[in-house]
Amino acid sequence: MASYKVSYVVIGMDHPGGIVNLDHKPFVGEQVRLSDLTFEVLEVLEIMPARGGFHYYHATCHPIPTVISSDGTDQESI
Amino acid sequence: MDLKDFLRKVELFDGLTEAELEKVAAICQQRRFHRGDILTKQGTPGEELFIVTKGFVEVFLEAPQRVVVNLGAGQIVGEMALVDQGLSSATVRAVEEPTLTQVIRFEQLERLFQQDTSIGFKIIRNIAADLSFKLRHRNLSER
Repeated sequence: MASYKVSYVVIGMDHPGGIVNLDHKPFVGEQVRLSDLTFEVLEVLEIMPARGGFHYYHATCHPIPTVISSDGTDQESI
Repeated sequence: MDLKDFLRKVELFDGLTEAELEKVAAICQQRRFHRGDILTKQGTPGEELFIVTKGFVEVFLEAPQRVVVNLGAGQIVGEMALVDQGLSSATVRAVEEPTLTQVIRFEQLERLFQQDTSIGFKIIRNIAADLSFKLRHRNLSER
């Protein structure tokens, strides 16, 4: 079964991005959570050739604006 | 999920046979961290390799404090100190509640490398690939 190692770089705010393994190829429009914030993927590129069962991708994403609900949880704004 | 099933999905162990994975699994220990707990401290000797199994850790540099990357499931921490024997290059802190890891002590891993050079070759090659990926991530972050 293939694994996808993804480098997420955030644009539009000062955030270090992240590296995560997924069980599927990342796609444009996908929402991803990196530690405490949620982002939307804008662009996906393969950055290294696949090796063994691993595929290597880079995704550019931007923050999804959130509001804090009355119970203190983050919710995506509409 | 069975530990071997998890290890099979970690790039660090790509290419290992079932028997080799068994040997690695035998020296892994699960360790649970709470949000804010420190895994490694910048400037201190590294003694353990961490594999994130659940949650996130952030890698940050001290003085001035700056987070350089967040690492999620399947990512490794402590590999630089394993390779160059130097002090930890950054502080690593758990940022999700809970954050789960598998931990391998350097001395146990090095003993395994000496006993089975095939495992040693594959894991060191995979660490090189991981360092390359992290460098590419940093380069792309600075575009």
